[in-house]
Amino acid sequence: MKTAQKNPPAHSVHSVHKTPTNPPDILAPVREMIQACIQCGTCTGSCPNAFAMDISPRGMWRMVIMGEDESITEELFNTKTFSLCSSCYTCTLRCPRGLPLTDAIQALKRIQTRHYPEKAKKNIHFYASFLESVRRHGRVRETEFMTLFFLSMKNPFLPFSFAPLAIRLMAKGKVKPGFPSAGNGALDPIFQKARELEASS
Amino acid sequence: MRLPTKIGRGLVVGAGIGGIRAALDLAETGVRVTLIDRSPYIGGILTQLDHQFPSDRCGMCRMLPLMDRDAGSQQCLRRGFYHDNIEILPGTELAELSGDAGNFTASLRGRPALVDPSRCIGCGACAEVCPISVPDPFNAGLSQRKAIYSPVPHAACAPYVIDTDACNRCGACLDACPTGAIRLMSKRREAFRILVVDDEQIVRDSLKEWLHEEEGFGVETAASGPDALKKMEAAESPYRLMLLDIKMPEMDGVEALRRAKEIDPEICVVMMTAYAAVDTAVEAMKIGALDYLIKPFETDVLIPRIVSIYGDLDADPADELLVGAVVLCGGTRLFSPAQGRNLWGHGVIPNVVTAIEFERLLSGTGPLSGGPLVRADGKPVERIAWMQCVGSRNLQIEADFCSSICCMFALKQAMLAKEKSGGQIDASIFYMDLRTYGKPYQQYRDKAEEMGVKFRRARVHSIFREEKSGDLIVRNSDYESVGHDDHFDMAVLSAGHRPMTGMAEMAEMLDIPLNPWGYMATKPLSLTRTEREGIFIGGSFGGIMDINETLIRAGAAANRASRVIHSAGGGLGEAVSETEEYRDVASETPRIMAALCNCFESNPLENNPDAAARLKADPEVAEVRSFDALCTEAGWNGLCKRIRESAPNRVLVGACLPFIHARRLKSLARETGLDPVYMEAVDIRGAGLPRHLLSMAIERLKRVEPEREPALPNHQRALVIGGGIAGMTAALAIADHGFPVDLVESSDKLGGNLNWLERTIEGETFAPLLEEMSEKVTTHPKIEVRTSATVIGASGEAGDFVSVIETAEAGPETPKHETLEHGAVILAVGGREAETTAYGHGTSDAVVTQKELETRLKKGEIDIGKLGSVVMIQCVGSREAPRNYCSRVCCAASLKHALRIREENPETAVYVLYRDMMAYGFIESYYTRARRAGVIFISYEVTGKPEVEFTEAGLIVKVHEPVIGRPLEIETDLLVLATGITPDLPPELAAGYGAKIDINGFFEEADAKWRPVDALKEGVFACGLTQAPRSVPETIATAEAAAHRVLRILCRPHLTPARITAKVRHAYCARCGQCIDACPYGARTLNPETDQIIIHPAMCQGCGACAAICPNSAAVLEGFTLAGMLAAIDAATEAEDGAGRTAQKEEAAQ
Repeated sequence: MKTAQKNPPAHSVHSVHKTPTNPPDILAPVREMIQACIQCGTCTGSCPNAFAMDISPRGMWRMVIMGEDESITEELFNTKTFSLCSSCYTCTLRCPRGLPLTDAIQALKRIQTRHYPEKAKKNIHFYASFLESVRRHGRVRETEFMTLFFLSMKNPFLPFSFAPLAIRLMAKGKVKPGFPSAGNGALDPIFQKARELEASS
Repeated sequence: MRLPTKIGRGLVVGAGIGGIRAALDLAETGVRVTLIDRSPYIGGILTQLDHQFPSDRCGMCRMLPLMDRDAGSQQCLRRGFYHDNIEILPGTELAELSGDAGNFTASLRGRPALVDPSRCIGCGACAEVCPISVPDPFNAGLSQRKAIYSPVPHAACAPYVIDTDACNRCGACLDACPTGAIRLMSKRREAFRILVVDDEQIVRDSLKEWLHEEEGFGVETAASGPDALKKMEAAESPYRLMLLDIKMPEMDGVEALRRAKEIDPEICVVMMTAYAAVDTAVEAMKIGALDYLIKPFETDVLIPRIVSIYGDLDADPADELLVGAVVLCGGTRLFSPAQGRNLWGHGVIPNVVTAIEFERLLSGTGPLSGGPLVRADGKPVERIAWMQCVGSRNLQIEADFCSSICCMFALKQAMLAKEKSGGQIDASIFYMDLRTYGKPYQQYRDKAEEMGVKFRRARVHSIFREEKSGDLIVRNSDYESVGHDDHFDMAVLSAGHRPMTGMAEMAEMLDIPLNPWGYMATKPLSLTRTEREGIFIGGSFGGIMDINETLIRAGAAANRASRVIHSAGGGLGEAVSETEEYRDVASETPRIMAALCNCFESNPLENNPDAAARLKADPEVAEVRSFDALCTEAGWNGLCKRIRESAPNRVLVGACLPFIHARRLKSLARETGLDPVYMEAVDIRGAGLPRHLLSMAIERLKRVEPEREPALPNHQRALVIGGGIAGMTAALAIADHGFPVDLVESSDKLGGNLNWLERTIEGETFAPLLEEMSEKVTTHPKIEVRTSATVIGASGEAGDFVSVIETAEAGPETPKHETLEHGAVILAVGGREAETTAYGHGTSDAVVTQKELETRLKKGEIDIGKLGSVVMIQCVGSREAPRNYCSRVCCAASLKHALRIREENPETAVYVLYRDMMAYGFIESYYTRARRAGVIFISYEVTGKPEVEFTEAGLIVKVHEPVIGRPLEIETDLLVLATGITPDLPPELAAGYGAKIDINGFFEEADAKWRPVDALKEGVFACGLTQAPRSVPETIATAEAAAHRVLRILCRPHLTPARITAKVRHAYCARCGQCIDACPYGARTLNPETDQIIIHPAMCQGCGACAAICPNSAAVLEGFTLAGMLAAIDAATEAEDGAGRTAQKEEAAQ
């Protein structure tokens, strides 16, 4: 028996094997950062986004510590907890162990992008679209950014889920309607350099 | 080279309970003690705590001497105390210490007492007129007090003191004081002459205004250097302080300084400079200036600086004292949550209080006078939350330690709140690990659970306030949810502790290193010995601890200090109090002299002619006389003189503060030759003479029976049973004082558990300690060691025990029997790791106990490199019936093993399954280290214990992981069980000496807090695992503490009964035995041979419980005869108009 992933998480039995036969332990760098965690729950209590998370930040860190096993790693990347982090740093400020929790979450996001790109699809496209708009104009044009995002997600129904929000924002004049445009390419060298650096790292 | 003088004196620094214990321990063995405290009162933090866990009452008086109790006070210890051998110096600090162990010279610096403690009668007239109100630190700032105040409201004899920072020197109190006790502080300041030298008129004028008119110093000014030097030469009394400008025409400040120092090298000079000339000021400091002030002046910086210089210069000169050893008993400082980030909103959000503030809110002497708790908006408090680990266990604020006592503190407060409100208050404790690691503390927690206190495992990071309702919002997360808000009326922050303010400076002065947590470091394996021989730590200077632990360490430190003093020649055994020769007046008819103090102005007799006439009308009152101010030396001498002249055989002293006079009656007795038994002191302070009190005292005096029980012989020899580290330590601690000790060990070699234990969590190995101690014990000329020997019979009382020892000489077939007579006994039989069959122990090699793991690791039988995974289960068979106590050492042991395994093989996965990690004190940092090292800790509840399955593949441990909420299955190679400790105390052995055993088989202390190593029966003591589970260093401390309790008895050739003891009138005694059960000191027994109730006169403490319970009046208390008490009650209940009982009866008849 490895793990019973089909069961809902709360009832699944996770077995810890003495000889890990897993692929490389991708969580090791994150675990290193938060190893001294005592599961006190301060992070969960202080997280302003916790209400929307499927597992608590405390549970997420526990999974990182326990996750030498592939199944738990995979389960961790199935949750949306860390992707909901808005980097407010409250948990980092309050953690009695002084752990770099926000940094660790960003590390988790990077690992997800690299190792589980299909799970991070939405995030990857969201960030890519955001940066594409920045590349073109040196700032974000919200409607362009969202249009690029919808196009890249290739989901014709996706725009409808954002429609109510868009209408409200437009009614208040918060965003202006507009179409994507090419921009003048002034920032291209910076983006080029960043790509080179990423490739070499 | 050691001086030939005997220095039989010890210095105890800090007069909290630790200091009082250490001082009393030394004093009771005949050492003279100087007890100092920098605060103006004694008692430390406990003056503020009315209830102390785990009994929720006080009981501090149980620390008072039991042997020769007449040498000290016998009243509520929280109200103050005295002892013939202890000199108490409040408001005094240790300024310097030179010399070596056995021969130190201590400089003690006292603050000038602005209220003369010998004249202050505590009437409070000064505080009434004082116009200044400041927050009262005694009530944690929750109430106000005056600038002149009594530091402890319940103290019997704490004189008023002046808060010099708050005082504006208006002088109103001077006029109000009836005894002239307040010194003219303004005169003193006026005499402190300051010379201001500046070429600018405005600077001279403003400094004169601030320093003279507002602060009251004597200020003169000079416009130039030469002018100043002229003034200095012409001055009648020297200037003490010169404020000297640097940039002046004619002669610059540096030159003026040089010349001024030539005229008066003693003068203190502070330079005044503009910001640009700071370099010059620094130059000036090199040639003798004390400091510099930067212009323009900020008054709130300048004035305190000058006042502080004044304080240093005008302090009374330090007293030098020769002492043999020093015991440091300072306390800790409470962490202030308001500092730093203050996420809890302390001081900002109403109804957020610290634990000490809450304690004061509950107290009868607190700001609410013990009334019900109310919120700041006036609504009643119905929901209270306790937040644990505020300022503790927090690496962000460098607090990698546990404050050790806050969990118990919170439990106590939650239960008190419940009790006080009749269960109405909803109490929740938010915690991470509830550290109930003391012997009775688990039961205390169970009691809290039964009372409905809610335990919630979550750390609370911050508190919000809901504007609309005024409620406190506590956002927290439990295991089940991602977080939710709870509403409370009050939040109590269990603020942790920090090293005492000034402790680091003191450590530096004494050349004692600090440990990594900022407390004073002790030697390895010792909790009391510092790096500097002759200086010992007896309290929270070495770490945070509760009352029980503090008293043990104080006792151990006192023992260590006493050994240094003894080896330096100031030995024990000198008479504690001399037996005086008094006039024999037993057969005379009472001739009472009533001496009443007129308290400076009012003659009590003239003011109360009726009362005076009544006193005089009593035929047995020979003389009624008023005396001038008995508190003064002259007044007291007048009384002595008069007593010598008219030679009354009874004396009644009416004055204020009988507490003080009771002590002075002894000196009166010495000077007049009248036994103090014939003297009484009565408090007549206030309006009119308290007739009832006077009459009661007179009735008692008339019926004094001076007979004393004869002194009992004492065998000055001790028996220590058990040759483990506890027994060996205790034996040495006694024998080093020159008293013979018999050490009996049942096995064939000394050492007990030290034979298998390898090292402490800190990494100290035990083998050298065992070797050193065995060597010392076996070669000590005063210790006789018997191995393979057991006590097979025991009986007797303090001073006179008889034990029969059976020694297997050649083998069990040829035992040798010996009878030993000894004055006291220490039970140090030890304990062992509890046995278990849980989790398959005994059926598989892969399931071991902690001891088995340690032994196998020591022998190299376990190859850590081959272990894939190790699981450790804590609390196996512990903290639940039938062994419902925490064994205290197992969590540290698991951390020790886990760290070792991870260090030797980082590939080995280590899981620790725990209920609450009892990583108290500094062990917390090893807990952090273990987490960092990758040890995985999984908490379990007693209702969901782990399960073990033996499969073909190996051992599988199943446990519910609560944080991610799912069952886990852990394949493991080695399962380690923490089974805890069980005592080895045979009930018949304890019974032989009259010691009691608690429900878990441990030795039962006379009092869990106040008498931690004593049995209720005097002369019987226990230490080490016999008494409670403890680590090796903690065991050593209990052994030394117990040894010193024994020395109290051994140091007397005879045991002399105290003045007031109980007696039995055998003719009336029905042998019902009620008095035996009623006696709280176990002093009464039924002698089966004579069929009589007998009282051990040295054990009887004269409490009178027996006299109260005896149905036949066969039990009587000396000095409190039935007739005397009834007459006193008659006098007390007489109607105020003089009509007595008879008169009332007549009225009733009509």
